[in-house]
Amino acid sequence: MNGHDDTREFADMRLTRRSFIKGCTMAAAALGLADSMIPQLVAAATAPRRPPVVWLHFQECTGCSESLLRASHPDLGRLILDLISLDYHETVMAAAGHQAEEVLHDTINKHDGKFICVVEGAIPTKDGGIYCKIGGRTAMDILAEVAPRSAAVVAIGSCAAFGGIQAARPNPTGAVGVRDLVHGKPILNIPGCPPNPVAFLGTVLHYLTFSRLPATDNLGRPLFAYGRKIHDHCERRAHFDEGRFAEQFGGEGHRQSYCLYKVGCKGPATYSNCPAVRFNDVNQWPVSAGHGCIGCTEPAFWDTMTPFYERLPEIKLPVGQGTVTTAESVGRKIMGVTAAAIGLHAAAGVTRRLLKGTAKTDEIREEE
Amino acid sequence: MAYEFEKRRAFGALYRITHWVFAASCLLLTITGYYIYEPWFTTMLEKGTADFTVANMRFLHFLAGYFFTGAVICRFYLWFFGNRQERITDALPVTKRNLGNFWGAILNYLYIRFHTPRLGHNALAGTTYLLTFLISMVMIVSGFYMLFPESATWQVWGTNLFASQATSRFVHFILMYYYIFFAMVHIYIAVWNDVMFGEGLVSAIISGSKFLHVKRPKAD
Ligand code: HEM
Ligand code: SF4
Repeated sequence: MNGHDDTREFADMRLTRRSFIKGCTMAAAALGLADSMIPQLVAAATAPRRPPVVWLHFQECTGCSESLLRASHPDLGRLILDLISLDYHETVMAAAGHQAEEVLHDTINKHDGKFICVVEGAIPTKDGGIYCKIGGRTAMDILAEVAPRSAAVVAIGSCAAFGGIQAARPNPTGAVGVRDLVHGKPILNIPGCPPNPVAFLGTVLHYLTFSRLPATDNLGRPLFAYGRKIHDHCERRAHFDEGRFAEQFGGEGHRQSYCLYKVGCKGPATYSNCPAVRFNDVNQWPVSAGHGCIGCTEPAFWDTMTPFYERLPEIKLPVGQGTVTTAESVGRKIMGVTAAAIGLHAAAGVTRRLLKGTAKTDEIREEE
Repeated sequence: MAYEFEKRRAFGALYRITHWVFAASCLLLTITGYYIYEPWFTTMLEKGTADFTVANMRFLHFLAGYFFTGAVICRFYLWFFGNRQERITDALPVTKRNLGNFWGAILNYLYIRFHTPRLGHNALAGTTYLLTFLISMVMIVSGFYMLFPESATWQVWGTNLFASQATSRFVHFILMYYYIFFAMVHIYIAVWNDVMFGEGLVSAIISGSKFLHVKRPKAD
């Protein structure tokens, strides 16, 4: 577009000042901070002390790491890597095998009580937790060793937060989220399948700037990202209220971008900022692409939100079928009654004329 | 001069139904329309409410809008096919008889010279009703243009009349005050006439019959 080589920009792992400020601004916007706070965020983010992070992978698909680090906006991933000292992360670290185990122990010992423990993936608990083992140790074991020595635990993704798909009925491995096993440590849940990188970035920046975790709801989710229902800030909401729906995929209503409630959207029961923050820097999220929300930020969504393509029960539509749709159908009847009334009046007039001749019986001349 | 009253049928059933549908829908449209303009209730509550207050108000507005439209269509029909009192020619100052009556009505309401009530409307009232009808047409077109903003048909009407949604909303809002004004004057005048002339004007729009003044030679 301007003769500027994108490949080089992507290959270059250095973060420019411009991208850095951009990333901080995005996080500030997501956190709902005023732009006057950006310098403070920037100062915190450039402070030499970077919090050490131990990133544990358990029963998962690594999609959360993938979406975080491979954000199509390369700056976001770079910013995150720049902000934290990612001392242990199985997917991206160079070390392997015993070397990796050593790194883990060193970090824990060196930063005892100060590092952040990020958990990605559920923890299977059945049969002594044998369904997920790393270096011969169960996930339960590793978590039990690492989490109590951290400053705080961040459960990234719905698996780490609530068990995710592994925990779906009948939950063969007894998978659970971090909050079921770790007690006595602050736990922050960033659910989603995967969660938006901005939610993680915002949490980290908040922690760096204010030295505490952001305020959460009672499921431990930061309010800045999970404080509102999708349905309450969805771009298709007007169609819901007025009663215009996609009745089936590919149908007329779907092509008109009407509300996806009837094809199974779970937005009315899901807390997340997807409609506002969106994904992958292309300003898209499932509903804008024509697919209903599947409720992936909610606990046990595989059990409670399925079937994904059937309408969520007991969600009230305004005045039954939506305001405009109901008004239009009742309105047609009112127009019908109007036509009938006129027809009746005309018929009565004609009949009277036939019976009594042209004399206008109902007109009596008044005296003036 | 002594008067006697004679009960005469003035208005047909369709006319009277139309009148009351018109009255009720105007009342509802003004209340709900004002709420759409100034939705104070939900925003007064600290955390908002999960009820569809605005949606319900809008729905009532649209529903009343359809009733209103039905009444306006009936009224238009009756201008041409109603009984004599209901027809447009009976009450517009376009005939010699009505031009005089128009002037007479003004003097009457100014307490200068009272005129004898007639069976139909006086020409001043008839003129006001024509104006109300025209304004109602504007309300209907702007209302339906806002109700179905994507409809090609309403867009043709809407853009030709108002140029934009914003203007149509503005005109629609401002003209609401005409109905408030009209209702006040209309009710005052109707009651005033009843008090002054005892013709039963108010009950006429319910029963259909008025009590006309007839000069009768005194029976000895
Ligand atoms: C006596 C007649 C009427 C009165 C006094 C009235 C009054 C109002 C008022 C005050 C508003 C708010 C405008 C604003 O936002 O500032 C409004 C909006 C509206 N009216 Fe009416 N109206 C009347 C007739 C109609 C009719 C016949 C229709 C057709 C169905 C209609 C449809 C609408 C629509 C669609 C809106 C916009 C609602 C929205 O966008 O939320 N109105 N009306
Ligand atoms: S049901 Fe889904 S598509 Fe419809 S308004 Fe709610 S969140 Fe948006």
